[in-house]
Amino acid sequence: MPPSRTKTVKNKHAANGSGISGSKATRAGPTDGIVKNKKGPPPSSKPSNSKAIAAILKKRRKKTYSEKELDIPKLNMITPVGVEKPKGKKKGKVFVDDRESMNTILAMVQADKEGEIESKMIKARQMEEIREARRVEAEKKEGERKAALDETKDSLRKKRKRGGKPTANEDLDVKDTLLTGSNAVKAKKKRVSFA
Amino acid sequence: MRPLTEEETKTVFAKLASICGNSLKNLIAPIDNSPTADRYVFRVQKDRVYYVLLSMANLATTVSRDNLLSLGTCLGKMTKTGKFKLHITALPILAEHSRYKIWIKPSGEMPFLYGGNIVKAHVGRWTEDTPEHTGIVVFSMDDRPLGFGVTARSTAEARRLAPTGMVVFRQADAGEYLRDEDSLFSSG
Repeated sequence: MPPSRTKTVKNKHAANGSGISGSKATRAGPTDGIVKNKKGPPPSSKPSNSKAIAAILKKRRKKTYSEKELDIPKLNMITPVGVEKPKGKKKGKVFVDDRESMNTILAMVQADKEGEIESKMIKARQMEEIREARRVEAEKKEGERKAALDETKDSLRKKRKRGGKPTANEDLDVKDTLLTGSNAVKAKKKRVSFA
Repeated sequence: MRPLTEEETKTVFAKLASICGNSLKNLIAPIDNSPTADRYVFRVQKDRVYYVLLSMANLATTVSRDNLLSLGTCLGKMTKTGKFKLHITALPILAEHSRYKIWIKPSGEMPFLYGGNIVKAHVGRWTEDTPEHTGIVVFSMDDRPLGFGVTARSTAEARRLAPTGMVVFRQADAGEYLRDEDSLFSSG
């Protein structure tokens, strides 16, 4: 508030102005230099009509919800695993130190491990059985092939006996077949001769 | 120093059960039948898990956390991802309760103690019906525990294996007492 201006009083005995109506001194307020605020009529606190009451009531009835109360899923926000804390739960770690609970945990873990090992063993046994079956099958096939070869050999031998003395060429042929196991004609060796 | 939480207890037991058999429950059984019998408990100090007598653990509470370096037998350490890693210091306990064992020939002792895996040529004998990828304790032929690892093959498969084929992957061996001398006991 700016300080009120001081006035020079020319005639301090003139209590009520200078005697001239409408002069500067008569128009001025109190001469002690303090100017008091003039109070107007107090504002009416009571609402004057029922329309205003209705408006206020309407305003009060409308409740505003905060974001937390609405339980809306938060968008574009990452909540780290450790940060989210369940409500109403005790803070801090829960220790396991009594024998009973330790035994319970141990029994559970051991049952799990047993099952795991058991399933591994069963699987290994099954694989072993499959391998054994395959081996037997391969052996059987090998045996059959050998038998077929023997049969061919025998038949060729019989043929030779039945046909009397085979020619030298035939004999060579049989020998070839026995050696190579097939009747494919052997390619003749290339020769170079000079006249 | 504090006891283990439920989650930690599960992790530790799961790891121990992969090597130990049914006798694992004797690990936490009371020492005798008296009502006030002492028993072994697990304690975590920094990130190491210790297997220690309850009475000793109670006494150790008089030492502040910062000043307590070690107590009882160190089984291994909890990693920051919540897994548990067994240390060679747990070998006496594992050897006593192991389910599967492998004995290696004197020629194979040195390669194993220097951190190598075990090849078939070095195997003296091993437990029958051992499945693959399961924990196993390694012994020398005169029954001294040397370390532990995980089987690479089952016994049946290993029979058909070449002499240079691997049968056990090493996890820890007694050579670590020298090789990892600096980091084995300091938990910093």
